[in-house]
Amino acid sequence: MCSQAPPSMVSTEQRQHAEHIFLSFRKSKSPFAVCKHILETSKVDYVLFQAATAIMEAVVREWILLEKSSIESLITFLLTYVLQRPNLQKYVREQILLAVAVIVKRGSLDKSINCKSIFHEVSQLISSGNPTVQTLACSILTALLSEFSSSNKTSNIGLSMEFHGSCKRLFQEDDLKQIFMLTVEVLQEFSRRENLNAQMSCVFQCYLALANQVLSWNFLPPNHILSCREVMHYIAMFEATQNVMLKPTASWRETLLDHRVMDLFFTVHRKIREDSDMAQDSLQCLAQLASMHGPIFPDENAQLTYLAHLMEGLLNMINGIEIEDSEAVGISNIINNLISTFPRSVLTALPNELFASFINCLTLLTCSFGRSAALEEVLDKDDMVYMEAYDKLLESWLTLVQEDEHFPRGCFVQPAVQVFNSYIQCHLAAPDGTRNLTANGVASHEEEEINELQEDDRELFSDQLASIGMLGRIAADHCIPLLTGLLENRVTRLHGQLQRHQQHLMASADPGTVDRKVLDDLYEDIHWLILVSGYLLADDPQGETPLIPSEVMEYSIKHSTEVDINTTLQLLGSPGEKATSIPGCNRTDSVIRLLSAVLRTSEVESRATRASLTELLSPQMGKDIVWFLRRWAKTYLLVDEKLYGQISMPLSTAFGADTEGAQWIVGYLLEKVINNLSVWSSEPDLANDTVELLVTLVEKRERANIVVQCENWWNLAKQFASRSPPLHMLSSTVQRTLMKALVLGGFAHMDSDTKQQYWAEVLHPLQQRFLNLINQENFAQICQEEAVKQEIIATLEALCGIAEATQIDNVASLFSFLMDFLSSCIGLMEVYRNSPETVNLIIEVFVEVAHKQICYLGETKSMKLYEVCLTLLQVYSKNNLGRKRLDVAAEEDQYQDLLLIMELLTNLLSKEFIDFSDTDEVFRGQEQSSGAGRAVSAADVVLYGVNIVLPLMSQDLLKFPSLCNQYYKLITFICEIFPEKIPQLPEELFKSLMCSLELGMTSMSSEISQLCLEALSPLAEQCAKTQEKDTPLFIATRHFLKVSHMMSKPLMQEYSELVETLLSNQRDAVIYQRLADAFNSLTASSTPPTMDRKQKVAFLKSLEEFVANVGGLLCVK
Amino acid sequence: MADPDLDFTSGDAGASTTYPMQCSALRKNGFVVLKGRPCKIVEMSTSKTGKHGHAKVIFLSYFCMAVFNHLVLVIGVKCSSLSLQVHMVGIDIFTNKKYEDICPSTHNMDVPNTKRNDYQVVDITEGFLSLMMDNGDVREDLRVPEGDLGKEIESKFAAGEEMLVTVLSAMGEESAVAVKPMTK
Repeated sequence: MCSQAPPSMVSTEQRQHAEHIFLSFRKSKSPFAVCKHILETSKVDYVLFQAATAIMEAVVREWILLEKSSIESLITFLLTYVLQRPNLQKYVREQILLAVAVIVKRGSLDKSINCKSIFHEVSQLISSGNPTVQTLACSILTALLSEFSSSNKTSNIGLSMEFHGSCKRLFQEDDLKQIFMLTVEVLQEFSRRENLNAQMSCVFQCYLALANQVLSWNFLPPNHILSCREVMHYIAMFEATQNVMLKPTASWRETLLDHRVMDLFFTVHRKIREDSDMAQDSLQCLAQLASMHGPIFPDENAQLTYLAHLMEGLLNMINGIEIEDSEAVGISNIINNLISTFPRSVLTALPNELFASFINCLTLLTCSFGRSAALEEVLDKDDMVYMEAYDKLLESWLTLVQEDEHFPRGCFVQPAVQVFNSYIQCHLAAPDGTRNLTANGVASHEEEEINELQEDDRELFSDQLASIGMLGRIAADHCIPLLTGLLENRVTRLHGQLQRHQQHLMASADPGTVDRKVLDDLYEDIHWLILVSGYLLADDPQGETPLIPSEVMEYSIKHSTEVDINTTLQLLGSPGEKATSIPGCNRTDSVIRLLSAVLRTSEVESRATRASLTELLSPQMGKDIVWFLRRWAKTYLLVDEKLYGQISMPLSTAFGADTEGAQWIVGYLLEKVINNLSVWSSEPDLANDTVELLVTLVEKRERANIVVQCENWWNLAKQFASRSPPLHMLSSTVQRTLMKALVLGGFAHMDSDTKQQYWAEVLHPLQQRFLNLINQENFAQICQEEAVKQEIIATLEALCGIAEATQIDNVASLFSFLMDFLSSCIGLMEVYRNSPETVNLIIEVFVEVAHKQICYLGETKSMKLYEVCLTLLQVYSKNNLGRKRLDVAAEEDQYQDLLLIMELLTNLLSKEFIDFSDTDEVFRGQEQSSGAGRAVSAADVVLYGVNIVLPLMSQDLLKFPSLCNQYYKLITFICEIFPEKIPQLPEELFKSLMCSLELGMTSMSSEISQLCLEALSPLAEQCAKTQEKDTPLFIATRHFLKVSHMMSKPLMQEYSELVETLLSNQRDAVIYQRLADAFNSLTASSTPPTMDRKQKVAFLKSLEEFVANVGGLLCVK
Repeated sequence: MADPDLDFTSGDAGASTTYPMQCSALRKNGFVVLKGRPCKIVEMSTSKTGKHGHAKVIFLSYFCMAVFNHLVLVIGVKCSSLSLQVHMVGIDIFTNKKYEDICPSTHNMDVPNTKRNDYQVVDITEGFLSLMMDNGDVREDLRVPEGDLGKEIESKFAAGEEMLVTVLSAMGEESAVAVKPMTK
């Protein structure tokens, strides 16, 4: 018992010794008699457990040697043994039943063992009426199910995937059904009983769980020919058993299409719904039934009948009960499965009344779960069941309304109104809303610490907001005016509240007395109203040109006849006035009015900052405003009529190209940006969102053209160039983005004088100051002075920003501008060699330039960049070889320089993959004769860099994820692009490269291993090309062949050895033949191997066939 | 700094040892003065009280120079306008404990003027380095730093290797922070 004893009683050696005894016992030959003896006599549970395990392993091992009769008697022995000992420890009993299941499974394929007898026995056990015996019966069935499911629950018995697959297929057609029928009978029996005692309900629960397991069965398609995909399917099966949709084979029709089965599960749930554990199982069973699809339905009609019955049952179940907390997620799962599984055509074919009451029920549930979710948030519960359920239902709504053209027109409008209203209500403060109210109406308000890692609501709730925004569009007639009204109201109140505070502050100079409660409530209301408005009016502006959502466009068009354009423009252009004070404000375009409500919020904010009330404002609201304006501007500003079938007059008059409205709003946004950057320099997130808005304004040429006409823009440029407050107080990332925006703006349309003047304001001061500084005679002496260092750092930051502004049409001028700096930067590298911060920043400039520009550069320009990078690396290496620093914290930051250099090298290499410079079109007129002859190639730079990096990359450093990823990305690139250079590496370097490849393949994440394998294949090709054996690369690659089990075709001889090894491991003659044939046909097509593409494709194809044919045999579990 | 024609020729005699900077513009790995000591920022984060609160910056830093063992008390400063507490917790490098400080991000912090010089090591006596200055003079007032770096310098010196040490100075104190073999 040494292996089980507590550590205080036995030594480690004793324990290991004991474990060894058990392990070797399990391997002993034909241990059946001994095991039986142990089982019958021993009183020690652990020994019993080991004996059962030994029997199981031995049967599988010695299967072909065993007589059929002895196997059968063994099964009978084990079953009887368990039956006669009801008091066995649970884990011993389960192990014995597992042994039975494994034996049955092993025998099922050659039909030597018949499940029938076991089922017969089980049904007798069930009918015994004795709860203990019934539980045992359930355990037997569960063990069989787990074994045959070929899932991660299946035992490892060393047989091929194909064996597991065939067993599963046989089982699911017959035995599985029988198990299900037995289960259903038991459930029926129990559901009829009036009172269940504790013991009975335990049995009930076991069978319910079993039913759930059957309904979650991952059905294999019935055909016997394996496609390649299916082999992958097998392998995937062993990993996942979660979220399986029910897709039974046609033979299950009689069983599962029988309405009584579905009714039974509804009945069962009704009976046990108050028991949260059991309710979970019964709801999961129903959710599985709601996900049923595939060949089980003979036609759409059958599907329709099934769905109608399911829906009726569901409605009966939900209506008239008060839903328990534990039911919420389960019910939303049923609905979500149902909506995503059944095709639109079936949903629309449902009887109108039924569908209407389903939608009605879904609406009520959504609203109610939403309210409960809000309550959970107030109570700060750990387990947010309603939030999860609410998310699921909103997801279902999104699925429904995204294809709403299939449904009767307008059928979702009323539900959308209700769900939208309830969402708004939950997010507004009392009296309009219920935010922060507990169930009994008590307000709770706590200020918690929020750190920067916490996501902003707009990301945290993006899924919810997207659904709500979508529903808002469906019911635009209701929702847009609602949002506008609420927002206008809150803004007016905020204005008044701030004014009161100002008067109060002037009267008593003590700001400590300000009560922020009212303000914070208003800020929170405005926060949510702006978020919902943003999601309603526009889509996430990522990637493609975002379009105005069709519902919003239609809404605006529909009402355009009632709209007075002039009043609308007046309303838009006077954000300082109350909207309702404008005469005729009810005859304005609602979409524009919603925007103008946000502009009014923005105006109140700006005015408060001018009145020195910034400390009373909410930076969160400031973020919301610029976030909204950015999203809005991307979609609506300078709306392009060509992109729309029909366009709303108010929208095109207010925001179209060449309109006063567009000009006005650009000016307004610019003013907002400038104001924010000076007022909110201490709020990094807000400053960041603000400067992103600025980038949005100038990144499109059409918008930039208007921007550069604004005087403010020029002021901003001058102010930034002079490095004066407040802009220089911004964080470095914001300053970089600001520089980027200023550069982008410079490419707008201007006459040549203006353009010249612009660059003289923006870029020339930078250059001038920099040159003046570094050309001073005593620069070496003054370089450590603080003012000088700051100037240098500001210049380097600005250079990064300039590089970030690179676009295809400005790369020519930006590259020339930056190149001048890059050479000077190398001089700086020397001067600041002992200041790591500055060194890193200099390398970063190179990284950015390479990252943004290399893909556009022609040969000569690339060469220039390679040269300057090479010089940079040389200087770095000279100054850092052997340098040792004092650093307290051994963190990744210390290796920032290494990381940056690897990034630089990777960026330089990326030209081999992404190259837009087919001709030197963008540099026309500048390019002189190509610099052939003294060429520095990317390979030279990169290999030189690798010489620096490799010796510094220790195994410890690879433990830092960022370093590790960057490192492997780099060496994989190198192997792929310059395989011919690898053998030429110095021996030490070559060795460490190979070592890190092996390390990456064997002990890193799968992503890294994949990279390494990708690196290997070009190396192998390289070997094949040179046809030289005994080169270090050849030897190394051969080594990898064994390590990775990869079949690298060029190494034919190695390959055939591997094949033979594989074959010799196969004892079964049939399989041997199949394998040998498969290997033959694999190589037949591609001998002798050549390296062209066609060959490769042909080989890949035969490899695929090969895997399809024997993959199932080679994967063993 | 508004003047574009900066005069960089003046020496640093009488210059302030620190300059102010808005908290939000400070950066990780940069320098800052905490409790009168020049420190390197090793961690920096912002937080706010309540969703609509203003940002605060949290620093985590070490003394950039290890000269004395300091024990620093926790102090609280009431910041009138926002009634936010400024916390500082600082502990010396040798004990490897951290300095922490929270302040409103609008606050100006002092940043030390720092300077780095490379000197050739000519001798080591009784724990002090003899360093050759640019003008040929030798200074002998700098201690061999403690820890790995000091050991590295001593063993290199014992092996007869020629080397340069980088000396970091700030607020009137100096310390060797890096060593590099001389390039031949």
